[in-house]
Amino acid sequence: MGFVRLVVFGFIGLGVIYLSISVYSRSVRREKLEEQYDENPIANMTRREFVENGVKSYNNSFRPKLIALVFVIPPAIVAAIIYVINAN
Amino acid sequence: MRRLRIIFRVVLFLILGSFFHYVLPQHDVVQITQVETKRTDFGGFNKWFYAQQDSGSAVMENRDIFYIYADRKKTFLFGLIARDATGVMVYRNEDTGWIWPPYFKFDSSNLQAEAASLARREATSEGGNWSVVTNYGWRIPFLSIFPNAVDVKPATGPDHQVTPWFNIFFFIALIIGFFFVRAMWMQLRERSVDPMLDSAGHRLDEVQAGVAERQGRMRRWMNTWRSKDNQR
Repeated sequence: MGFVRLVVFGFIGLGVIYLSISVYSRSVRREKLEEQYDENPIANMTRREFVENGVKSYNNSFRPKLIALVFVIPPAIVAAIIYVINAN
Repeated sequence: MRRLRIIFRVVLFLILGSFFHYVLPQHDVVQITQVETKRTDFGGFNKWFYAQQDSGSAVMENRDIFYIYADRKKTFLFGLIARDATGVMVYRNEDTGWIWPPYFKFDSSNLQAEAASLARREATSEGGNWSVVTNYGWRIPFLSIFPNAVDVKPATGPDHQVTPWFNIFFFIALIIGFFFVRAMWMQLRERSVDPMLDSAGHRLDEVQAGVAERQGRMRRWMNTWRSKDNQR
């Protein structure tokens, strides 16, 4: 029972962390793209087009998928703690 | 206002500090003298300082709890500086199971057996009969609360030193996490909240300007009915 509760609430908590990190990471990327365009504008592209293109290629890249490690690392730490505490 | 903020920070620091001091593991160098089981009836308050029944067992009002009695080396500064004095210490030995605090301890019976075995060593054996007890919690006699032992192992001697690696990594992670959350919050404010407030302020300005304009029109029309001296 305690295990089920831990898994359910842990999953919800990690989901919240996952969502906020991915929103944060995308926002930082968007800001960087805007600054990049402001520094040297590209002739045949509006600022908005440039930023949307950059965000799209960010979404398709491997980096945002790394944020899913949020669901891997804490359970791995829990497993390690269980082993260390209960092994004789 | 500034004094209030300082007081608030000090109180927050004390609460967080005592919380972490209660929950994080400490290492005591002890000579285990005896282990025993005692039926424990919890009071309304001190039940918060106990864990729960063995993780496979039924929930009851009261239960038997393992206790470990020991002579402990006293220390200064949360165990960082050794002292010559010794005093007695009593540890409870309960499963924390899947619940708080997250030690995930299920082996209280095994731990009791280990402690009993360590208690039987001769003082003349290698390293004496000293042990290291990893535990969390406080011993407060007038509330009848005891620290919970999570691990026992033989020590090299009375001067055995333990480096608190877990606590070191924990606090590093905590500081990194704090700055990360702060960066996220600042990004959210800069990119989402402030522009929203700006545009809300802008819209408010427009509304006020519109109202003023309409009032002006109304006033001009009213003035057509007033005599020249009476106009506003």
